[in-house]
Amino acid sequence: MTRGALVPSRFAPVLTSLAAIVAAMILGGVFLAMRGKDPLAAYGMLFSRGLGTSYGITETLIRMAPLLIVSAGLLISLRAGVWNIGIDGQLMVGALFAGVVASAVAGQIANPLMWLAAALAGMGGGLLWALVPAILRVRWGLNEIITTLMMNYVALNVTSWLVKGPVKDPNVVPPQTRLIPQEMRLPDIAGSGVHIGLLVGLVVVLLVSVLFRNTVVGFMLDILGRNRQAAIHAGMPVNRLTLVALLASGALAGLAGANDILGVKGLFQGNWNPGYGFAAFALVYLARLHSLWIIPFAYFLSFLAIGGEMMARPLGIPTYFVEMLEGLMLLCFAVATYFERIRSPFGRAEEIETGPATAGEPPGPLVGDPVFEPVARSAGGRP
Amino acid sequence: MNGSGVPLAAFVTAMLAAGLVAAVPLVLAALGEAVGEKSGLLNLGIEGMMLAGAFFGFLAAFQTGSAVLGVLGGIAAGAVLGLVFAALTVSLRVDQVLVGLAITIFGGGLTAFLYRDIFGGQNPSLNVDAPRIAIPLLSRIPVAGPAMFNQGVLFYLAFALVPAFAFVLARTRFGLQVRAVGEYPFAADAAGVDVTRTRYLAALIAGSMAGLAGAFLAVADLKIFQVGMTVGMGFIALALTMVGGWNPYRILLASVLFGLLRSLGNGLQILGIDVRTEFITMLPYIGIMIALAILAGRTSIPAALGIPYARGRR
Repeated sequence: MTRGALVPSRFAPVLTSLAAIVAAMILGGVFLAMRGKDPLAAYGMLFSRGLGTSYGITETLIRMAPLLIVSAGLLISLRAGVWNIGIDGQLMVGALFAGVVASAVAGQIANPLMWLAAALAGMGGGLLWALVPAILRVRWGLNEIITTLMMNYVALNVTSWLVKGPVKDPNVVPPQTRLIPQEMRLPDIAGSGVHIGLLVGLVVVLLVSVLFRNTVVGFMLDILGRNRQAAIHAGMPVNRLTLVALLASGALAGLAGANDILGVKGLFQGNWNPGYGFAAFALVYLARLHSLWIIPFAYFLSFLAIGGEMMARPLGIPTYFVEMLEGLMLLCFAVATYFERIRSPFGRAEEIETGPATAGEPPGPLVGDPVFEPVARSAGGRP
Repeated sequence: MNGSGVPLAAFVTAMLAAGLVAAVPLVLAALGEAVGEKSGLLNLGIEGMMLAGAFFGFLAAFQTGSAVLGVLGGIAAGAVLGLVFAALTVSLRVDQVLVGLAITIFGGGLTAFLYRDIFGGQNPSLNVDAPRIAIPLLSRIPVAGPAMFNQGVLFYLAFALVPAFAFVLARTRFGLQVRAVGEYPFAADAAGVDVTRTRYLAALIAGSMAGLAGAFLAVADLKIFQVGMTVGMGFIALALTMVGGWNPYRILLASVLFGLLRSLGNGLQILGIDVRTEFITMLPYIGIMIALAILAGRTSIPAALGIPYARGRR
């Protein structure tokens, strides 16, 4: 109990994540060994190719861009104690909107304006998709976990219908929007082979960092996430803050979709779903809900994905190994936060004061506890 | 009448049967989830547990050639993940949503990795017999009979488990304990109920049922495994549990409605009626949200749902 300094190091929370990552990689190695693969050779190739080749680094940086944006958005909602599990749907709708707008205005206005229009359309699409769960939550007190999940499946169907019909490129057979010509897509950063979407991602992360460090709204979102009752007692606009958190993370998910369309794909295809949602979830938790830590962890998870693809063929290890590793990391992280909590001199006291322990993070909303619940009743306090 | 020349009665029977079969994994998983949630455990790992049940059920059946062993393998896989969930959320008191999503990601990755690693690029199908059992007389009822009373063992089991779960939750000592620890664990503890043990058992039931649901898909229904084959059914079961207000009969009703809406989409296509399938396919999801909005505030949510319990801390 008394081990460790009273004021924990700034890096202590991240050390917990690193411990979880190491533990997960060891467990993953055990899985590999049980399947008759050499874990050392696998990890050796994963690291040497993913980190040591220019192809690996370039691909990692390209993949990192949307992940940064999505995670920054998810961070806003998780910090506010709002579970946005509908990232994938918001991203798909945003990508479709961006693809439609971009191909409609491409060549008619200057490229930077076209990118801006597509980015705004993407954000609008993501925001629209987050709006439904947000209204259901604020107006009817419906828990957003279920509604954001359901909206993912609605998004899958709506986007699939749209690219088959109304917004389909009539000149090709497969369901997709019109292709944005290569020369009109996002340019590379000074001959690096990495499109400037990466810079957008970094800027978004910095902006979110500023939001939580320097603005009143960010402060109120934090309070809301840490202690809903305190936020209500302090007279904060809890409903509006919940709305803001969900809409902001939806808009950023949409922006990430636009990023992939403008930078990499050039068009939206039916049933395209890169599944960044779960990766972002693991990422934001490993970054300990800290905005700037998102950057190194985004690089790490992107590198894992790319390195996993690069080692798959020569070693005969399915790429799904990396997905399993992500799950293991999150599971090990859950265990690690427990040890972090019991070792902390404040941990137990905090648990008594603030009620049940979460993973040492701002607690999520009480399930089914309606936000719009009359303040009078909430003010009476739950047991 | 219809473009494809299928007799209407046979068509309705086929659609009804497809809808009911689609409801089976949902009912199974949602029943388990209801017990878990009644005890205070919100399990978002249900999707990963279903996938684990599907894969390990498939693997066991593939290796042994026995459908029974396959189903048991699926249940065991779900149960193991249920125990992992309980260990992390009940004993270590880690956030349930975090652990649930971690299990879902892990389950998806593990099953996909193992399937591709073991079977390579091949997609073998099972060569096991899961016989249909026609119930005398009842199966001869026109239209509805063949759909409802000429099905496999697990089909009947799923529907038989509904009253069984309702009875256990409402009328037995264990059911009372489950409900007590999900409403007010402090009082339950004071009254001598072992909160930890009860929640472990509930998680075990939730995991096993999710595993059984997955095994039904892979071993009994489709006889194949596909990467990510549950396509969100676990999450749908989670939603149906809430739509059904944790009541087994209402869960059954919600699941069957969901299944029928799904098969309606396919049915209209076969009939040649020009409706965009996407609109029909997304109806059930929108239906769930509308149902939840209507029911909001009318069902009583287990008060301690999502909240870890630590003795002496309240």
